[in-house]
This record gives sequence, C-alpha cells and structure tokens, in this order.
Amino acid sequence: MKVDVESLDTFNQLAHEGAEQATRAMTQMTGIEAEVDVTRITLIDRKDVGETLGSGEYTGVQFGFDGALSGDTVLVFEEGSADEIVEALMPGASEDEDMAKSSVKEIGNIMMSGFIDGWADYLGATIDHTPPEYIQRSGVDILPESPEPEDHDQIFLFRSNIRWAEEEVSFYIYMLPEYDPMVELMTDHADTDADAIPIDKLAAFNEMTRQGTETAAENVEMMSGIATEAEVTQISFVPIEDVPKQLSDETYVGTAVEFTGAPSGFLLVLFDEASAITVAEALMPVEMESDELTDQHKSAIEELGNIMTSGFVDGWANVLQQSVDHTPPRLVHDMGRAIIDPLAAQLGQHQRHAFVIDSKMKTDEVEFESEIHALPNEEELREALDDLLVDRADETEADSDQIF
Amino acid sequence: MKVYDGSQTEQSDDEPEPERVKVGIAEYEVTTDGAVLTTSGLGSCIGVALYDSMTETAGLVHVMLPAADEMEEGNAAKFADSGTELLIEEMEAAGATVDHMQAKIAGGSDMLDFSEGGSGIGDRNVDQVEETLGEYGIPIVGQDVGGDHGRSLRFEARTGDLVVKSANRDEQRL
Repeated sequence: MKVDVESLDTFNQLAHEGAEQATRAMTQMTGIEAEVDVTRITLIDRKDVGETLGSGEYTGVQFGFDGALSGDTVLVFEEGSADEIVEALMPGASEDEDMAKSSVKEIGNIMMSGFIDGWADYLGATIDHTPPEYIQRSGVDILPESPEPEDHDQIFLFRSNIRWAEEEVSFYIYMLPEYDPMVELMTDHADTDADAIPIDKLAAFNEMTRQGTETAAENVEMMSGIATEAEVTQISFVPIEDVPKQLSDETYVGTAVEFTGAPSGFLLVLFDEASAITVAEALMPVEMESDELTDQHKSAIEELGNIMTSGFVDGWANVLQQSVDHTPPRLVHDMGRAIIDPLAAQLGQHQRHAFVIDSKMKTDEVEFESEIHALPNEEELREALDDLLVDRADETEADSDQIF
Repeated sequence: MKVYDGSQTEQSDDEPEPERVKVGIAEYEVTTDGAVLTTSGLGSCIGVALYDSMTETAGLVHVMLPAADEMEEGNAAKFADSGTELLIEEMEAAGATVDHMQAKIAGGSDMLDFSEGGSGIGDRNVDQVEETLGEYGIPIVGQDVGGDHGRSLRFEARTGDLVVKSANRDEQRL
C-alpha cells in the first residue's frame, strides 16, 4: 500500500478547503471574520489524539459519517468562542442555555455539512452523516473515540485551526477517519509511479520514533534527576510554508542541528524559558541566584540538547538501519516561529511539502516541558522508508521487535 | 487575499481602534482604511511593507524564499521576487501608484543557517527584495535586516510606521 506526496497534498488541501467552506458559512451567518490558519494531516498514536487540547472546557458539535469515507468529525469551540458566535447570530441567546445550544448546533450543522460535502464532491461519491450532536466537555473528551484500526495503534487525523481576525480565541475542526478506508482512498488516488510513500511503513516508523523520544527522555532524567516521560510522537504532512506554524510566538531556548545520512534534515530540541531554567538548574552543581536565564543556564541547555539529540537520532538510525550523524548543536534563544523558519526555508529550496516529526516530553514533578521537532528531507525519508526491511516489503507491517 | 477598504468598517472619529490583520507566511494583505498589519516569527523570511502616503494605501507581504523560478510553484507570495511584485500590483489595484510607494523591510536573519559556503537564504532574500524594489524604482526608506535573531512586525497603515520586535532586544520603529 503506497500513497504519494501529491495525494497526501490533495487530501490536505481537501480538508483545508472543507474547513474554509465551513468557516465561510459561519462568517455569512454571524458576520464574524475568521480564517483557516493551518490544516495538517497527522499520523498519530490513537491515545495521543487531542493531547494539545489540555484541560480547557470546550463546546463541540459532532457528527459521524459513513460512505466513501467513514469515521467521526467534530467542530471544537474554545470556551467563550461559542458564546460569541451565538451572540452574533442571535443577540441575548447566550443567556438562555437551550437557545444557545440550538444555535451552536445549527451553526455546527451548516458548517460541517459543507465540510463533508466538499469531500464527497471531490471523491465523486456519497458520504452520509448523522444528525449533529451538541457536546460540552473538558480537554480531550470533546473528541470522539478514535477509530480502532485492526492491527496497530496509528490513526490519521485531519486538524484545522481557525483563527478569528480580531480575537485571540480559536476553534478547530477534527476529523478522524477510519484508518483502512482512508488508506484505501489515498492509495486509489496515488500515482504510484512517482514519489511513492509506503504508508504502513510510515506508521511503523512513527511508532518506532517514539523509542527515540524515550531515549531522549531517559537522557534528561539521567542528567537532571527529573523523571521525564515521552508524551506524544506524531508525524505530520504540511505545505512547507505551514511548518513554522507548528510553534507559537513564545520565546524558546534550545538547540538546533543539521543531521546527515539517510535521511538528512534538521532537528530542534526546545524548552520554554521556565522549563529551560528548571532543567538547567537541575544540571548545575550550585544554586543560581538569579531567576533570569543566564549564560550558565544556556550552556547547560546546550549540553542537554546535544545529548537529547544524540538519543533521538540514534533511535532513529536504529529503526532505519542507517547511520545518521549530526553537527554540533547550535544554541537558540528566540521566538519559536523564527527559530524553525530558517530550517523550513532551507528544506523549502528543494521541496514544497514537509514531513514534520514532533515529540513532546514532560513531567508532573516540576514545571518542565520539552519538544523535539525533526524536519527530514522528504525525498530521502521516502527512500529510507522504502529500504526499511526491504525483503519484507510485501508485508504491510514492519515489526519493531525484529529491528531492535 | 482581501482588500480592506473604508466601506467595510465604520470608524468613529473619537477613538477609532484600527483593525488588526494578521499576515501569515507566504501571505500578503493590502489595506486602505488604516488597519494594522502584523506578521510574526520572521527568521530568514522577510516582511516587505509598502506605503503610498498620497492614497494612504499600505501592504505587507511575508516571503520565505528568494526566487520563484527555482521552484515549480503557484504561490507567488512565498518568494521574494514574485511576492514583492504581487504586493506592488495589489497596491496599485487598491489605488496606489508605484511612483509614490516607499518600502520598509525587516527580517532576513542568518540565524540557524547550516548552508556551507556562499550566502545563506536570509541574505539572498534581502538581495532579491532590494533588486525587485529597485526594478520598480521604489526606495527603501527603512530597514532592519540580517543579524542572528528573529523578528515580529507591526505595520501601522495610518502612519506608515513599521514596528520591529525581537525576543531579546528593544523595539524599533522604522
């Protein structure tokens, strides 16, 4: 089973256009100017879906759909944004719970019908959907149960972030198709002569990348004594200009390297400033007097970044059975998007899309969170995957036990 | 792309709060009603801000790579050459004239440039924007380019001021 970059792009665009259509429907009804910020296809472990939603309160409108594509989709409003939409539609209605509910449901229905119809039109097939269901839950519970693929834990997730022109609130469209029909559809639309990506190997690769993250987490723990857990590993496919949107405008501290081998690419290890101070002080023999980030903190971060990078890259090299080297780390302390932008640009000279591998690790003990972002050269990743257990290429599953 | 003109927003004369419009990577916006155009996280990318004081037309584009002809690609706003040209055309469509346009540019940092030898993407972006603006005879009246740090921009269309913010240094007003 192979898909190609073009078909991934097509499906990404389809989801993006569907989200735009849904957003336009909302703007027409409410006059609220909103725009789809980014849409990405992500291959992710089903238990990690929605991790970024944190513990906030959300209002959602959920549908099941069935036909050429089956699964669930949900429109997720951050707390407060649903009220604003209701007010714009029917002033005073947010005071009345029942009225508010039915307004959200109505808007959701119109938005999501447009979203699903867009897919059906493109596929030239019928997709039916269930009546909308209004839900109010916290954190990840707002999302429907991830579909259960038969033989592995990876699922595809389409996620669009929609931002309002004036406000800092946003909402999201999540679509969770069932894995097998989705892969079948993508395979049908793939031109397998060109740029083929063995999709099941991509899933296996993603699962195995987690081991790299775990090694990196162990390194943090070994050096700092802070018990650290690998949280999320996902691989996303986005247009190159959307890569920097993976990160916020917050200031981060961390390291960047270029890695060479098969594949080559770039890797970032990043900490928010508070986490950087916490972890750096755990590494240093003496108590620091200042709460500010000092050069001593930075050099501790540089050392840690180096070791985490090696842990991650080694795990990866094992999986691909390739040697992957990396340059000495360069320390960065800047706005998140500005850090990743030059790396995306360097890849962007040769490719229009990118696979982005994101890992997160954190701990409950102290305030500490770290992210790893890898940007492999697309073509080389494809080749490396193709070579992965090449004698078993007719089998759909790469077996991690066999590799390690 | 959107053109914001006065007919869309009613502004009172007392305390008009200018509309804020975000410009993403490989995107542009043109305003004729004094909106504030913002873009964030410029590393090697460049923000090109054009202003025509006669018609109070302002535009901002956030370009990523130097030249469109290096890639087969439809999105003109992604490249320094075609993006700058596109912005000039859209400014004209909104009523501005090239003869009255002035440019301010920021970005093009060489942070995290791993290329060996030759100049990096940030430098090449700056060179390309300068060249394209030069072809149209548009003067660059303010710039904050290069260095090894990121930038975020706020382009105030009422005054033509371009405010440059960085993580670890003072704000600059061009």
